[in-house]
Amino acid sequence: MRRYISAYFEDEENLLRATKDLRDKQLSIQDVLTPFPIHGLDPILGFKRSRIPTIGFIGGAIGCIIAFGFQAWAFVVDYPLFIGGKPHFAIPSFIPITFELTVLFAAFAMVFAFLIRSKLGPGANNPIHDERITDDRFMIIVDLDEAGNQDELVKEILLKEEAQEIKVKEIDK
Amino acid sequence: MEEKYTLKRKTQYGILSIAGVGILLLILGYFIESPNRQELWANVLINNLYFLFIALFGGVFLALHKIAYAGWYTALKRIPEALTKFLPISAALMFLIYFGMHDLYHWSHEGLHDPILEGKAAYLNVPFFFVRMALYFLGWIGLTYLLRKNTLDQDLNPDLKYHNRGKILAALFMVFFAISSSTMSWDWIMSIDAHWFSTLFGWFIFIGMFVCGIATIILLIAFLKSQGYLEYINKEHIHDMGKYLFAFSIFWMYLWFSQYLLIWYSHIPEETAYFAPRLTDHKILFFTVLVINFLFPFLALMTRDAKRNLKWLSFVAIVVLIGHWLNVYMLVIPGTIGKTAQIGLIEIGFIALYLGGFLYVVFTSLAKTPLLVKNDPLLEESFHYET
Amino acid sequence: MYVSPIREPLVTGKKTYKKITDEISAPIEGKPGKAWYAGITLTVSALLLGLAMMGYTIWEGIGTWGLNKTIGWGWGITNFVWWVGIGHAGTFISAILLLFRQKWRTSINRSAEAMTLFAVMCAGLFPLIHMGRPLLGFFVFPYPNTRELWVNFNSPLLWDVFAISTYFTVSLLFWYVGLIPDIGTIRDRMKSKFKKWIYGLLSFGWTGSAKHWQRHESISLILAGLAAPLVLSVHSIVSTDFATSVIPGWHTTIFPPYFVAGAIFSGFAMVLTLLIITRKVLHLENYITVGHIESMNKIIIATGSIVGIAYITELFIAWYSGVEYEQYAFLNRATGPYWWAYWIMMTCNVISPQLLWFKKLRRNLVFTFILSIFINIGMWFERFVIIVTSLHRDYLPSSWSMYEPTMVEVGIFIGTLGLFFTCFLLFIRVFPVIAIAEVKSVLKSSGDQKDKSETKEKH
Repeated sequence: MRRYISAYFEDEENLLRATKDLRDKQLSIQDVLTPFPIHGLDPILGFKRSRIPTIGFIGGAIGCIIAFGFQAWAFVVDYPLFIGGKPHFAIPSFIPITFELTVLFAAFAMVFAFLIRSKLGPGANNPIHDERITDDRFMIIVDLDEAGNQDELVKEILLKEEAQEIKVKEIDK
Repeated sequence: MEEKYTLKRKTQYGILSIAGVGILLLILGYFIESPNRQELWANVLINNLYFLFIALFGGVFLALHKIAYAGWYTALKRIPEALTKFLPISAALMFLIYFGMHDLYHWSHEGLHDPILEGKAAYLNVPFFFVRMALYFLGWIGLTYLLRKNTLDQDLNPDLKYHNRGKILAALFMVFFAISSSTMSWDWIMSIDAHWFSTLFGWFIFIGMFVCGIATIILLIAFLKSQGYLEYINKEHIHDMGKYLFAFSIFWMYLWFSQYLLIWYSHIPEETAYFAPRLTDHKILFFTVLVINFLFPFLALMTRDAKRNLKWLSFVAIVVLIGHWLNVYMLVIPGTIGKTAQIGLIEIGFIALYLGGFLYVVFTSLAKTPLLVKNDPLLEESFHYET
Repeated sequence: MYVSPIREPLVTGKKTYKKITDEISAPIEGKPGKAWYAGITLTVSALLLGLAMMGYTIWEGIGTWGLNKTIGWGWGITNFVWWVGIGHAGTFISAILLLFRQKWRTSINRSAEAMTLFAVMCAGLFPLIHMGRPLLGFFVFPYPNTRELWVNFNSPLLWDVFAISTYFTVSLLFWYVGLIPDIGTIRDRMKSKFKKWIYGLLSFGWTGSAKHWQRHESISLILAGLAAPLVLSVHSIVSTDFATSVIPGWHTTIFPPYFVAGAIFSGFAMVLTLLIITRKVLHLENYITVGHIESMNKIIIATGSIVGIAYITELFIAWYSGVEYEQYAFLNRATGPYWWAYWIMMTCNVISPQLLWFKKLRRNLVFTFILSIFINIGMWFERFVIIVTSLHRDYLPSSWSMYEPTMVEVGIFIGTLGLFFTCFLLFIRVFPVIAIAEVKSVLKSSGDQKDKSETKEKH
């Protein structure tokens, strides 16, 4: 049996304070669901920095090499043609397409990484805890132990920050 | 909050000894390398331009942020203000060029019988050249003086009128600068290769100036911070300066490439004549400039951590400053000295002498006024600068 | 985050989070008014006219256009460049202004980006039609083929193919990634099962989880970092279509950055034209305030002045170059048979925006609206001047010629206008015109409420 408690706040400042309190008390926060990104929440939840930029860099580097390599191969090795008095290996001519494909590959890499890592995508069926999370409710879900020893402590912290609809839920594994 | 920078003896000696080394090297170089007049004047022009760019950028930095309603830069306003104090000296040095006109500018010779240069004579003639020079400096010095005076007045009086006046002055400066920065680069740099022309040239010079200026401000922040000043300048400010250096190094490359690509592609002799000597006689330097000014900062500042690390950022700033000096060198040298040019004692001596003088002016003016402005309505934003 | 009290609020009317959601979602939930139906009837008719003309062109051939041997590029390419230019404001707003931390962009980026996509779609049509046989359009891509030939990587026209398709794709990704949370909002508000299912599909299962938001913010920032140079590259590459040639008036090194400035200039003009109406019709005056209009006007005057300086630089350097042909090309522009096009361009692009130095006019909606139309016209003429006047008198006086468009070309242009506005009208009924989540995130720092806690609903 897994138990957790859910509640929502109406102001992100309450949410921030409550989250901090809960983290300080070594309670495990399952998720925080908000209508917009909350500044300063990530460090409280102890998130590591996202690695999406690195993925973008790798994607871009691959695009860059493929684009430049392909153009050079096509014009120097595969089918060398004289065009407008330019050398076969016409570096300046290859730069625009190389740049474009670098950006294209980087963008695709990042977007796919974002969607796959977050399990988002067409048809993704994630549970919606409250239909007003995307409106004006700042929801928090805190894990509880099976014995129920933490219930009171969590409730107290949540109530102190004016949490609404505090509900304890149990699901069988 | 009050903060005042005091110029320490040690710093002062340091600066003066840079200038001293410069003079020493110049004397030494004069006897060892026995440079001709042309080489001496070319060096004067290169350093005149280089330090003028940095000083002038102080005004650009202030004006741009002012008209953009930026708040974050307010706490470090005094640094670019101090840079602009070098402008009058730049002016004096630039007028010295009068005595070296014939060594630098081929078009200033009489009786050339060159139909193309005769066609340009209405613009490229010695009297008008100096009239324009006077006009540029009058505008730059006058407007930066007013901009600086305005913030000093604001220190004493919290009235909002100084803020509004600052915006007007900044707009005036930007308009004047937008025109004069292009014409200045045609006059002083493009006309060295008197037959050659490129419409992009002025903007290319401007972005080079931007990069030099940002790098200098970064180094000044790093120095002042190491002396225990500017505690309110946090990682976010540094990060933004790093982003500037990163982005404008890329932008510089973009403009460089735009100009090169179009001339390379069209292959019109009138235009390729500019790149031909650079690619044959100065091949290594030509590509080195691109590596130092673009590839290096691009890779070195790509990550977020690199831009937020002041030590690393300062290192990159120094490299980029060297790169942009070489860029100015490459702009001037092929058209003046040509093939035989080499970087030796004379060149380094001139740099050191100018650098010493420049730093002396900047640091004494930093010490004259409080390091932190007061009463700016956007100052508080600068203190609470977060992402 | 601290915001100085001298700054104008970006969201007025003492909004709460809930009110923001309600008001921005309203156009999607309600029934369209008469004005909308009238508008879409008009734009769809224009689109149908355009389609008919395109069909005629493809059936009969390019001979139905007013082109001749001297002037091989006319309205088609003028419109192409014009539309690509208009497509530059959206990504500029969402990418470059994001990097410059301009919070006012949050109210306008969504619709401006949508305009970008529609404008690029319109632009892409012209080269496709101009090929004469659009069904063979895929020839532009380098794929292994029985002709055993590669495309010409030395050709700026091919660079265009890559630049524009990349720009469209990346803009679409950027726009859609930004839309995901807002589609989630719409999904959660929809009552009808079918609509809920559709928006559910489109929202990619968005939940608002903190980890998702963290990645979302990270990707938005890096995509902005990539899109910023992309914006510059696209119109630069378009400009190389002209500037790599040896035609006086086309070959000039300032073209790449000058085209970019012009593109942002015209893009902002189009954004203003549309948003001044949209904010009124959809009652979004509290989100797109007069302050927003003023900020956009400032960008207009900055970019307009850059364009002006570029014009004058070209003119001066043409004289300074001492090249006879260069000098003639510019003299001919200003005083030749197409003098009127040149002076329309000068008046609309350089002189009229200078009026925006006056704060009163910057904040005047009627004036701004009229001016934005002027700029749209001026920027169209800029491309016309560059393309047609440079071509019509080339090196060989015996082939000098004149160009005038046929009804077919005009019809196709009207058709793309129809396409653009139809897409926009549909967009405002389907997706939130303003980035809901982004506006909420600046509400506390830039709203007009006295007390920060007033952002929540009262019980």
